[in-house]
Amino acid sequence: MEPAERLDQNHELTLKELPYIIRWREDRCTRCGRCTAVCPVNAIEPTVFAQRLIHSEGPVPTPKTVRRLTQGVRQNVDIERYCTGCGSCSLVCPTVAIEPEYNPQHKFLIFKNKGGVPYKRGGRRNDPSPSTVDQLKFTRISMLTDPALDAGRHEFRIRTLLGRNLPPEKLPLEQRNGHLQVREESGFIPPVREIFPIRIGSMSVGALSPHMWEGLAMGVAYLNEVEGLPVVMCSGEGGMPPRLLKSRFAKYFILQIASGYFGWDEIVHAIPEMTEDPAAIEIKYGQGAKPGDGGLLMAYKVLNLIAKIRGVPLYVDLASPPTHQTKYSIEEAVAKMIQSMSMAWGFRVPVYPKISGTKTALAVLNNLARNPYAAALCIDGEDGGTGAAYNVSMDKMGHPIASNIRDCYLDLVKQGKQNELPLIAAGGMGKAGNLAANAAAMIMLGASAVDIGKYIMQAGADCFGDEYNRCNLCNTGRCPRGITTQDPKLYRRLDPDKVAERVVDVFKAADVELKKIFAPLGRSTELPIGMSDALGVADKAVAERLEISYVC
Amino acid sequence: MVIQGKVNGKRVSSRELEEQIQQAARAGKQTLTIHADGQHGIGGRIWPNGKKLRITIDGPSGQRLGSMGMAGTEIVVRGSASDDVGWINCGAKITVLGDVTNGAHNAGAQGILYVQGGGGARCDTMTKYNPRFEPLQSWYFRDVGDSFAEFKAGGIAVVCGVEPRNPDNILGYRPCVGMVGGTIYFRGPIQGYSEKDVQCVPLTPQDWEWLTKNIKPYLKAIDRMAYLEELTRSPEDWNKLIAYTPAEKAARRGMKVPMHEFRTQVWDAGVGKGGIFGEYLEHDQTILPYITTDKNRRFRPVWRNDFYLPPCAYNCPSRIPSHKRASLIRQNRLEDALALVLQYSPFPASVCGQVCPNLCMDACTRGEIDQPLDIKNLGSLSLEIPAPEKARATGKKVAVIGAGPAGLSTAWQLALKGHEVDLYEGSNHLGGKLEMCIPRERLPQKILKKEISRLEEMGINVHLKTKVSRKRFKEIYDTHEVVVIAVGAHEARMVPFKGYEDVIPGIEFLKQVNYGETLDFKKQDVVVIGAGNAGMDIACQAYACGARSVTAVDIQPPASFSKEQELARSRGTQILYPKVTERYDPKKKKVHFKDGTAVDADAVIMSIGEVPVLDFLPQSIHTERGYLVVNELGQTTDVKVFGVGDATQPGLVTHAIGQGRIAADVIHTQMMNYDYVPEIQREIPRERIKTVYYEAARSDEFVVEEEANKCMSCGSCRDCGMCEVSCYYGAISRIGGDGGTFEYVVKDDLCIGCGFCAGICPCGIWELEENV
Repeated sequence: MEPAERLDQNHELTLKELPYIIRWREDRCTRCGRCTAVCPVNAIEPTVFAQRLIHSEGPVPTPKTVRRLTQGVRQNVDIERYCTGCGSCSLVCPTVAIEPEYNPQHKFLIFKNKGGVPYKRGGRRNDPSPSTVDQLKFTRISMLTDPALDAGRHEFRIRTLLGRNLPPEKLPLEQRNGHLQVREESGFIPPVREIFPIRIGSMSVGALSPHMWEGLAMGVAYLNEVEGLPVVMCSGEGGMPPRLLKSRFAKYFILQIASGYFGWDEIVHAIPEMTEDPAAIEIKYGQGAKPGDGGLLMAYKVLNLIAKIRGVPLYVDLASPPTHQTKYSIEEAVAKMIQSMSMAWGFRVPVYPKISGTKTALAVLNNLARNPYAAALCIDGEDGGTGAAYNVSMDKMGHPIASNIRDCYLDLVKQGKQNELPLIAAGGMGKAGNLAANAAAMIMLGASAVDIGKYIMQAGADCFGDEYNRCNLCNTGRCPRGITTQDPKLYRRLDPDKVAERVVDVFKAADVELKKIFAPLGRSTELPIGMSDALGVADKAVAERLEISYVC
Repeated sequence: MVIQGKVNGKRVSSRELEEQIQQAARAGKQTLTIHADGQHGIGGRIWPNGKKLRITIDGPSGQRLGSMGMAGTEIVVRGSASDDVGWINCGAKITVLGDVTNGAHNAGAQGILYVQGGGGARCDTMTKYNPRFEPLQSWYFRDVGDSFAEFKAGGIAVVCGVEPRNPDNILGYRPCVGMVGGTIYFRGPIQGYSEKDVQCVPLTPQDWEWLTKNIKPYLKAIDRMAYLEELTRSPEDWNKLIAYTPAEKAARRGMKVPMHEFRTQVWDAGVGKGGIFGEYLEHDQTILPYITTDKNRRFRPVWRNDFYLPPCAYNCPSRIPSHKRASLIRQNRLEDALALVLQYSPFPASVCGQVCPNLCMDACTRGEIDQPLDIKNLGSLSLEIPAPEKARATGKKVAVIGAGPAGLSTAWQLALKGHEVDLYEGSNHLGGKLEMCIPRERLPQKILKKEISRLEEMGINVHLKTKVSRKRFKEIYDTHEVVVIAVGAHEARMVPFKGYEDVIPGIEFLKQVNYGETLDFKKQDVVVIGAGNAGMDIACQAYACGARSVTAVDIQPPASFSKEQELARSRGTQILYPKVTERYDPKKKKVHFKDGTAVDADAVIMSIGEVPVLDFLPQSIHTERGYLVVNELGQTTDVKVFGVGDATQPGLVTHAIGQGRIAADVIHTQMMNYDYVPEIQREIPRERIKTVYYEAARSDEFVVEEEANKCMSCGSCRDCGMCEVSCYYGAISRIGGDGGTFEYVVKDDLCIGCGFCAGICPCGIWELEENV
């Protein structure tokens, strides 16, 4: 049979199948080629258009054909080169002649499995509807009933405790000569850090470009050292630059260990030279964006820098399996890892696990509650982001964070341990731009702190991604903003200083907003963890499920 | 007049006391003495109509003393006063001979407050300035409490700092939060203020003049003139707090320390120069724009002229570059164009022009918009072109056995390269199947003879009627550097069904016809077994021999090309398939098929292919299923022996010609000790040719110049200059060389890698490469 490719449009998709359609304005275009030079996926390409006109200029029909050839820009309909809507073309167009437009009727997912390979991407869950957290309001406003506080005038200390916070009677302390001293026979006091309740969640060196990672890290250092805001950032699973580990800034960073154990030999080698203990150790068991799916850094991203920091050969695929090897039960898995990691820094550093949001979170929580060395539990909900995952894992797997944290908190309340074991909420914080409100709501539901990832990508580096599957090229190494790429041509678009400045902006602003939320509640020193009487929601089912007031 | 705040041991209510005071004021009283008992708001809200009213208060005065006080009201409190003294003061002069508690002059706008002692918390908060009036004054002799002057918008506050309750801090904790206007003069130590809102500066001469002038009535009023000298000793004892203007605040908004400064002085100092990744990064530590040139481009264009073969040349087994021929014609070099073909084939008129199915034309890109280029006619135009000049004689000697298309092509190419060629042919004609088998009506002998005569001009040593035996072969082998076997396939394949002995071998039939030994098929029904191209030729020839009907049968759909089939059908040939012949009954003149059917057959001709006769070869030269085993370069198992044409595999004449040329190239390099460089075998991807540039032709009349213009020059630059003109940045330029050569080059420092050149190139020459 004649192969279909030889024929005209057989088996060719139309633009209507694609999620974004390029609107190109011939009348404005100067054919400068900036758009095609910058398109990360070659979804647009220069081409030639022919026009045939019939003119008749005389007083009687005097037909004359006129052919006009113009050059221009055309969108490709190849599914492998679909327009992701990133808008880099519009960004660089000097004459506002081109932009991608979202096509709500697209049938993209039906076709994006060529070669039997399911759609993989980075970014976020593509669900633009407001999350439960975003529906919560703060409905308890103290005016004449409690001493009212003024966020602008009063001094606030918005801080939280990262680490196991034992009640006084459980602390191995005794009074000797009028002074409190640690009892000699059981000298372990769990390490606790006082930190800002919004943290930068785990994003690895490798997932992020060097400019992005350094920008975040520098912003964190600035916040601590110039602004006096004790913000901490998690390394992600990709090791830590030894220069940072050995610097005094190490104390602002949480080191993550995950199933790939990447970079840990370099970290262990650096320990004797470290002058500061890290803020904490996070053991990653799961990720909210892709529960049960492991991580994979593609070989083409494993360049010199990544290979050195992770301690691996150049240009090989680096898999972090969905599960840790050689750990066969929850007791063993958690206890073994917490012990090992605590020992590395002489039990001076809080060690806690991070899991993806799940119905089984309570089982993990109760295991941790019984483990005196467990410092916290971090739960990453379904709205979390990722650098790379199967679309199905991102869109269809996971557990919303609100009820997950709430259940855990109420369970701790039953055990009387709600002030002992901090819960950290992650996944979709600030999804709709309301970072401080989301953080405050999670805190009132019972979280001690929240983690942000995508939010800081957008705020810090103008990430193009949104909940309409815009861009989401994180997994391809072709991030047009330079955030998630190891290609210097791309990541050198990103100025680490600017990223750092924006990180500072974000946390200073969130600090103000948290005060604006907490002040009317009459709270200025203690974080209102679990203060759920301040919350209301206009959805009765949500109210019942979260045990908060229904308001309307 | 004296007003009692307590009558008969009973406290007068605030409302009653206020009524008495207002009555006294309305009555024009000038002095009032009030023995207060904690009543609210004493002394305020009196409108003296230009007159003065002096109120002296004894006893405990209540909150908001003198609040909403007006100009003309003077209040002296003999002792301390409670909260909010002078709240919203609008001009009263209030002297407190003691301390004031919280909130003194809260929201005060005009007037004066003299305090002999100190102030409580939140004094001077929310004060105003109204340009219609003199600014408010608040004087505190000792110190003030926490949160002083919050949201202060106007007025002057003076804190003298004499014997303060807290000797380390006379303005209390966090003064001036939200302060936007007014002035605070203070004397003594403080512990911070809202740096976001105000700045602490030394006094100007004007400040000092105001202070030293106005402090005297103050000290007099509070009976502390003794301190005048100490307090006016030096402006350096004093400091001033003033609010930043909105413009100053805006300028100070943002980073406390600029980030680049933090990076160089704090971050890099802590982690090392170049940052945390400095030890691994090899690139410059600079930021790139989105649009970049040179080595920072993501892509770079490459002018890939003649990197790909056009569909015509790629699909031509002889690799005749028809696009080059068209290009030469467009350059007005028709002679060169027609001679060019002779470098590839000695038979452009006979083969391209006559017998070839022209696979080039089937593939031609032009065919997508109208008609393929007319290669048949273009080939025929080369008929009269003389033989090209031979290269200088090399002294090398090659034998070619067989003077069919393959052998002649090989001999032609070798002769062109200057080698001496001995050509051995069993028959007494040159041309092989072209001469013997192709019907004369498909290949007029005049054309073939003309081209053979051109071939003969090459000085090839032709040995006709020389059958090569084993012994002969050995002699040839020993006396030549290389031997090329091009004996063709001349033994008909026969299927031994019953009665096959009476079947005529097709090739013999064709040869007989071409040599005039015509069979007489008059009124006969002829059956041709095998409906390939040869079968179709046979059918035509059978009609030429007078046949009444010709039926061609095949066991599968006929392999013949449509043109050959059409010709045969036009004569009346019927084609039947699938028909597997079971037997031929020459007596009953019927061919029976295995499906039980039969057709009438006065004569049966078998045309299912031929095999070569290779009995002269030694065992060292391998054959397989009757054919000579060669690789794609024509090399046999003997390094000295090459094989081409139908002797190796049945094919078209053009295949034989192409094989001959390739074998000749390989033989040449082998004999001359060069490295053989294989030819380009890449076909240009179809989508790279921008057919949209061309308009469908309305006429199919053959005019050689127009034909050349129609050629889309796939993969071969037609030098139109489209890229040079299109490039927005002027990064492409044409460089001409000797003899009409040219190239297009890119100025890397101007090129952004947009791909316009690649996207618009009519011929698909420009290719965008990743710039690594």
